[in-house]
Amino acid sequence: MNRTGISAFREPDIRHNKAMTARILIIEDEALVAMELRFVLEDLGHEVVATVADANTARSIAARNDIDLALVDIHLSDGPTGIDLGRELGQERGVTVLFMTANPGMVREGVAGTIGVLSKPTDERAVQTAVDYALARRTGRPVEYAPPELQLFG
Amino acid sequence: MTAAALPWNEAERLSALQAYGILDTEPEQAFDDIVRLASRICDAPIAVVNLIDQGRQWFKAETGLGVRETPLDTSFCAHALLQEDGMVIPDAARDVRFEGNPLVTGEAGLRFYAGRLLKSADGHALGTLCVLDTQARPGGLTPLQAETLDVLARQVMAQLELRRAISEREEGVIALAESEAKFRAIAESMPQMVWSSQPDGFHDYYNARWYEFTGVPAGSTDGEAWNAMFHPDDRARAWEAWGHSLETGDLYEIEYRLRRADGVYRWTLGRATPIRNEAGDITRWFGTCTDIEDLKRSEAGKDLLSQELSHRIKNIFAVVSSLIALSAREHPEARAFAGSVRDRINALARAHEFVRPHSEVSQPLIGDTTLHTFLGALFKPYVDASGRSRVAIEGEDATFDDQAATSVALLFHELATNAAKYGALSAAGGTVLLRTRNDGDRFILTWTERGGPPILEEPVRQGFGSALASLSVKGQLGGTLERRWEPGGLILEADLPATALSRRRAALGKK
Repeated sequence: MNRTGISAFREPDIRHNKAMTARILIIEDEALVAMELRFVLEDLGHEVVATVADANTARSIAARNDIDLALVDIHLSDGPTGIDLGRELGQERGVTVLFMTANPGMVREGVAGTIGVLSKPTDERAVQTAVDYALARRTGRPVEYAPPELQLFG
Repeated sequence: MTAAALPWNEAERLSALQAYGILDTEPEQAFDDIVRLASRICDAPIAVVNLIDQGRQWFKAETGLGVRETPLDTSFCAHALLQEDGMVIPDAARDVRFEGNPLVTGEAGLRFYAGRLLKSADGHALGTLCVLDTQARPGGLTPLQAETLDVLARQVMAQLELRRAISEREEGVIALAESEAKFRAIAESMPQMVWSSQPDGFHDYYNARWYEFTGVPAGSTDGEAWNAMFHPDDRARAWEAWGHSLETGDLYEIEYRLRRADGVYRWTLGRATPIRNEAGDITRWFGTCTDIEDLKRSEAGKDLLSQELSHRIKNIFAVVSSLIALSAREHPEARAFAGSVRDRINALARAHEFVRPHSEVSQPLIGDTTLHTFLGALFKPYVDASGRSRVAIEGEDATFDDQAATSVALLFHELATNAAKYGALSAAGGTVLLRTRNDGDRFILTWTERGGPPILEEPVRQGFGSALASLSVKGQLGGTLERRWEPGGLILEADLPATALSRRRAALGKK
């Protein structure tokens, strides 16, 4: 796939992107959705550490790498394991966690140690604003308000 | 001799007399005592309790007469019925009414008669208590005799009323016993568990099926002991629901787990209805317990399946959406096109989330699945610099179903997208007001844009987005769509049949 042409359609703000560059883990069992997400995040200047489809692989990657942000689907290839995984990454590994799911009702009550949930399907802009918001929270930068598409926990 | 003419409704009087159930019964001491006393006090050889039946007079008690009935045409008493306060005939031989009466002229040789009416509570003259003498009494009764006869006549009536009351109660008891026997026969043969309790909630009856299901000894769940048969987690809840019903008389309905004889708890539907007396007081509760475990399981299975399907559908939307975006990466010139297709797909996915079969977990995060909450979610991306929504929704809300979801989602997605490109949402400070209202059998949605670039003339060319909006309203929802390009901004009115948003519900309502 030719991705070199993409840059012409972005309005890169190098300084801005540099400041926001983060190491991101994508946990998503739909390959196409994961691939698109990866491209979008890389376009934004982030480093996608890995794209994994199940909770155990995610755990071992998180154990061996420094991860700033994890985007976690709830239904993974090993079942609805995303909620526990997200809680664990947030509380035990200090990873900032955003859920991305087609069934946001699954985390209606919120998940301790995580930020919120973005409903799928979504688009580049919503992903970007949600990731920016999550990273701003992580680094303690002031945020005016949460992106409207992002459902925050508590 | 003159037979007495009857000025009242004789059929009614006779039926009132029959109702006492006294005619042709055996002599009874209570009545015999009265006629003997009347005879002695009045110093008359004959005294009778006389009931005037059809064509005859029948004596419940008599002394000095020796017969229990005589024909009516020679009756003294038939005449007495015509007089409210009773009748005294000092000498029948000198009275025209008894001219040629064989009782007067014949062997009996009756001369003197004094009678008092036996009158029922509802005013029917049933007969008399009377005394007769073969000697004429020009002076009639003495005051003591007259008063005695009054008192004794009332005593006869009191006896009659008492007997009737007792016999009615006995009939009631028999009828009750019969109805109870019927109830038990039905209850015992039912495949369902049946129970009954006193008005205070004390359980005193369970049918055979209850004991068969629970395996406990008969009588061991009387009173309040039933509660211990429930799953420990359900006891307090059932106790509370039952208490509420006892207090208010509301129907009792609850689902709980009931312990079967083998120790397995089975989901059970419990229901009970109060039985009330004429005064409206609860006299009993009748209840049933129905094993719904199998039903529950198949329901849960269906729920699971439909949730799984819904989840798959939403996932497919996500995959399609990503596929469009990925495809566009290879063709940068198609990026704008891909973006708009993707946005439409995403709007449909959002609508699907609001109308699919829901369980507790699959409910959308925000509120109910109504039109307003759905539109609120759809317009979420359109916020001003402080995060406030630029599309305000006002008016009467409505529910909508999956049939209407696609059309509603596409219509408002196109309107919002268009407003963001060319209309009110393309300019800082521009806003949209969406007002919805019921108008009889119509549901009307008005979209008003303000603060956008001034509109100088109606656009010449209609884009695909506008065509899609029109198609949704006219083709799918069966409504009309009117656009007015006013200088201040676009005003659009969609006028839908009230049933358009929820056709299934409308169809159910008609049945």
